[in-house]
Amino acid sequence: MNSIQKKILVLVVAVLFIMVAIWTSLTYYNQKMQYQYNNILERYLIMNEVTNESQQIVAALNNYIIEPTEANLEEINKNKSKVLSTKNKVIEFRNIDNNYALTNYENLIESLVETTEQSVLARSEQQTEDYLNALSEASRISKYISEMTLTIIDTELNTYERFYRSIIENSEELRMLGIWLLPLITMLLLFLTHLFSKRITRPINKLTQAAHEFSLGRFDVKIDVDSNDEISFLAKMFDKMRININNYLSEIKQKAQLENELQQSKLLLQESQLRSLQSQINPHFLYNTLDILSKKAYLEGAEETSDLLVNVAGLLRYNLNKLGNSTSLFEEVQVLNQYINIQNTRFIDRLQFHLEIDNSCLDVQIPRLTLQPIIENAIIHAVEPVEEGGSIWFRVVDELDHVRLEIEDNGPGMPEEKVQQILQLKTTKSEGHFTGIGINNVVKRLSLFYNYNDVFDIESKVGIGTKVILKIPKTRRVEGQ
Amino acid sequence: MRKLAIVIFTFVCITLFYFTILSASKVFKTDWELPQSTAHVDMKQRLVLITQELETPFWDKVAKGAMEEAEKEGASLEVWGSYGNNQEEFLKKIEIAIYSQMDGIILQGVDTDEFKTLTKIKAASYGIPIITVANDVPMGDSLRKSYVGSDQYVAGKMIAEQLIADMGADGEVAIMIDIQHQYFQEQRVEGIRDVLQRYPDIQTHYIEMHDAREQVIATTKDVLNQNPNLDAFIVINVDILAAMINEVERRSQIEPYFIYSFDDDYDSITLLNQGKIDGILEQSPEEMGTMSVKLILDWLSNREVPLDLEGYQTDIQIIKANDGK
Repeated sequence: MNSIQKKILVLVVAVLFIMVAIWTSLTYYNQKMQYQYNNILERYLIMNEVTNESQQIVAALNNYIIEPTEANLEEINKNKSKVLSTKNKVIEFRNIDNNYALTNYENLIESLVETTEQSVLARSEQQTEDYLNALSEASRISKYISEMTLTIIDTELNTYERFYRSIIENSEELRMLGIWLLPLITMLLLFLTHLFSKRITRPINKLTQAAHEFSLGRFDVKIDVDSNDEISFLAKMFDKMRININNYLSEIKQKAQLENELQQSKLLLQESQLRSLQSQINPHFLYNTLDILSKKAYLEGAEETSDLLVNVAGLLRYNLNKLGNSTSLFEEVQVLNQYINIQNTRFIDRLQFHLEIDNSCLDVQIPRLTLQPIIENAIIHAVEPVEEGGSIWFRVVDELDHVRLEIEDNGPGMPEEKVQQILQLKTTKSEGHFTGIGINNVVKRLSLFYNYNDVFDIESKVGIGTKVILKIPKTRRVEGQ
Repeated sequence: MRKLAIVIFTFVCITLFYFTILSASKVFKTDWELPQSTAHVDMKQRLVLITQELETPFWDKVAKGAMEEAEKEGASLEVWGSYGNNQEEFLKKIEIAIYSQMDGIILQGVDTDEFKTLTKIKAASYGIPIITVANDVPMGDSLRKSYVGSDQYVAGKMIAEQLIADMGADGEVAIMIDIQHQYFQEQRVEGIRDVLQRYPDIQTHYIEMHDAREQVIATTKDVLNQNPNLDAFIVINVDILAAMINEVERRSQIEPYFIYSFDDDYDSITLLNQGKIDGILEQSPEEMGTMSVKLILDWLSNREVPLDLEGYQTDIQIIKANDGK
């Protein structure tokens, strides 16, 4: 049990202990003093008693001699036994210094008693002179007793003088001790309380600080409380909470990003579908018309025109299929061929198209209409503006875990900034594309489709040409599902 | 700032602590120096020496000797008494000693009725042995067990013989006597008389007087007036000496007179040293003290029974003025 309660208990016990220790020692000391004082007082009182009682004996004796009644005799006897018992008390005060005097004192008392008895005896035998003599003797002895009492008290005072002085000095010292003790205890208690309160409040302060950081939204500051009580437990829990919140937060962020991406891909899809819908103005009518045109041309002997029309119809049909679906590279290459055929008809000798295809790679899955917009782009930029035409190379290369598709032209090329703009999807215009799908759209769809940013790359040098590289993974990465 | 506060706090704490500990140790370490108490009644013999001339050189020596002896023998002894021949106080002390039932009392003998009553009746009835010292009172009057001191008769003889030796067998001598007629003084006078009687050419005057100063001076004047041819004085009681010398000095040269005195008290020794008197009789007070204590203890323990009733003599000798110098 190492808790605040225990700490408080320890403090209280410590304070209590100090108090009790001081109280006990002072009480003990006081008792000792009291005992000594009482002894001294008693000594003097008893001495005084002896004097009084001896005088009373004489008085009683005198009464008896004047009036020898039984009652007066009784009085004498009473006083006698009193003075004898007091004598026994006096014996206890014997010490080396007053030994001699005390023996004398006792003997004097005895003499007094004896003389009194003699006097009583003489009185009862009617020997007038004897009893009067004894009476005067007794009164003299009583006088001597009181004188000796004073003498003994005097010697007592001398004997005990140093003792009394030391008592007086001691009481002075005791007062000084009290004076010193008060500030010392005050200081000690202040110090203890300070330490103690600091031990309790420091972790609380740290916790408060941490809570403040929390409220400001900083979840990355570690809470470190090195005490060993409930506060530290609280701090640990708080820290755990902080870590949890941190984790949740990053999870939420990830989710939000994911959602954002999903939204984007949906938007793109919608956009391309809209585009394709726009161009789908009664597509069956268009296909049929194109078919009829093709047959008509064939019947009229224009075979080339007929082929052209077939290509156009195929391309359109492919184009009008669902854009969201993927297709095999093989199909894409076929569509590409049809497109090139059409373009060949347009440019005749100005367009040199070279195919280098590794056939083993043709079954990888890629998004529909990926290659056609890139080739179209190449034609627009590398062949169309150049009078003597240009060459376009399309290569499919197997590279272990992915398939590398290269579309290269020998057009005027682009500066580096332009390349970066395209890669960062900053260009928005799509200039008169056949399918209405620009390079932008392709790049976005590719990265969404593979969940992988390095799919699309452009290498271009001004005056030499541009090379578009697609790295298509053989197995499509499945993530976030 | 914080460091300074801590340093100051620590310093104050240490100072307070130091002084508190110091004070506490003083309070709690004081030893109560009580005289050792003896619960049992001390069985030592209790003796008392009583004189009426406390704190005179002579009695101081007696007390010293007695104390030493008592200590040696393991008895307890106290010296009581009165100052300056105060009879009343002296007798009271004796009475107290008797009522206190001392084991033994050593007394300066005083030849008065009250003294005799006390010693004879009171002391005897309590069975307390009494030894007189220095001055004797006859045994028949005081029931004393013994006497320790100079043989006053011999002392008188010695003084008288010294006088004859110094002055020759021819002259006029005044013997100054205290009117109280104390036993020891009478013995001295007797000793002197017995010697001087043998010389018919020596004329003696016995002059009695009180020892009060005025009386002494008056009597001395008288004597000098009536006996202008006086050659010598013998002073029986030393109390007379100083006043007498004074008076003689006032009238004439002191040198021609032969003056002798008993008792070597402070005055007489001073006068002797000044050469104003020719000789004093020196007693042995310490021996008196020692012997009296020894005798009384012997008697109490039945080692020497009975004591010599005539008394035990201690040494006496005459110191002459020449010796004293």
